[in-house]
Amino acid sequence: MTFRIDLSAKFAFVVLLWVCAFTLPWEYQAALCLLVLAGRFAVPSFRPQSERSSAAFSNFLLYSMAVAFFVILLNSILIRGGSTYGTILGFMLHQEGLFFGLKTASRLLLLTYSILVFFISTPLKELIRFLQQKGLSPSFTLILLLTLHFLDHLPARIHQIFLAQQARGAPVDAGIASRSKALLSLLSPLVLSSIVESIDRGTALELRGFLNRPNDANRVAASTAGWNLLTMLLLLISTIILLAAIYRWLLG
Amino acid sequence: MSKSIRQRIAEELTGPALPFVAFCIALNLTVGQVTAALKIPLYLDSIGTILVAVLVGPWSAVFCGSAANLLAAAFGNPTMMFFIPVVAVIGTFTGIIAKLGWFRKWYLVCLGGILQGILAALVSAPISAYLFGGVMMAGTDFLVLYFRSVGNTLMDSVLYQGLASDPADKLVSYFIVFLLVKNLPQRLLARLHGAGNIRTPGRTP
Repeated sequence: MTFRIDLSAKFAFVVLLWVCAFTLPWEYQAALCLLVLAGRFAVPSFRPQSERSSAAFSNFLLYSMAVAFFVILLNSILIRGGSTYGTILGFMLHQEGLFFGLKTASRLLLLTYSILVFFISTPLKELIRFLQQKGLSPSFTLILLLTLHFLDHLPARIHQIFLAQQARGAPVDAGIASRSKALLSLLSPLVLSSIVESIDRGTALELRGFLNRPNDANRVAASTAGWNLLTMLLLLISTIILLAAIYRWLLG
Repeated sequence: MSKSIRQRIAEELTGPALPFVAFCIALNLTVGQVTAALKIPLYLDSIGTILVAVLVGPWSAVFCGSAANLLAAAFGNPTMMFFIPVVAVIGTFTGIIAKLGWFRKWYLVCLGGILQGILAALVSAPISAYLFGGVMMAGTDFLVLYFRSVGNTLMDSVLYQGLASDPADKLVSYFIVFLLVKNLPQRLLARLHGAGNIRTPGRTP
């Protein structure tokens, strides 16, 4: 039997990681980053839900590692202060810059990994259903679902318009001023066609009575069972860490 | 009694505005594809928010920008989530100046774009500096590092970087939206809430 963590607990886990990102020293944050990465492989609830999200995670992982490396390297070269730790390609590495780079990189990685692991392991439709259970109005739900529809179709439409404008002789490869003008010739048909589509869809919604229904009649009843033990435990730990950090800060 | 934010958004989001806002959220996320294809060195990632602010209203624009940033986080750019306050400011400011009729005159649009850029830089600087140490995983990070290396504080460096890039980006975004809405047929515009923001009072289409 596989133990599944529900969405409230996942939210609470992200909150806990955010609190840690702003309160704990960088060494702990780096360790938590590794834990989150291990969790993505070891905990079934944190595994990617599709090939696409798995690929996005792998790409972002490589990208973030490269960014973290350059943040640490560039800061330790450019921010001078404290003792030096040797040289790379003739550039001296300084202590102050190195520690600032480590702090920044570990915080950035922890914040981004926590959000990323949440989203790759949660299908957007499941998230929308959860938010609807928590009181998100049907209009907002509809907008989010329509956005997913547009996101699927827009790249193809942009490509189609781009090719059409190129065939008509739009200066897509000329100087920056001409390319900026070409931008307008790309966006105009895109926005115009979307407004026409919006009017059609809006009319269809009006005809189906979607926009005139009573406020709460069809809303899914808010779930109160979402506050399970794990969620409360994670939120309690977050509060304790936060209070400890505030106490330490007050003591100077 | 004053209305809640939810009621205000619900008032603006009627009929065709619902799918239009959805399109603008998607536009915010995909406009990078257009700028990349044309090799234009600008983000223009708030064009959808500005369009909604002008054609629908400020509250819907705040919703549009926030939803776009949340989805950007979901699609592999998690840092965007922390910049929701910036898009809220962009949506509110643009909505207010559109209601004041600034989108009827090109020079007011340019002024609005520059002011918006400065405002966006001011709001994003503390987030970028305190949450991320000035590192946003973008090319502009080198600018922050340069400003730091010449002796500025982190906060100043991030602010200078924002002031160097945001006003130009927002100016171009504003001007593109101005040209787009000017060229839209009036019969289509009439179906959206903010049609009056671009039409001169007393003039019939």
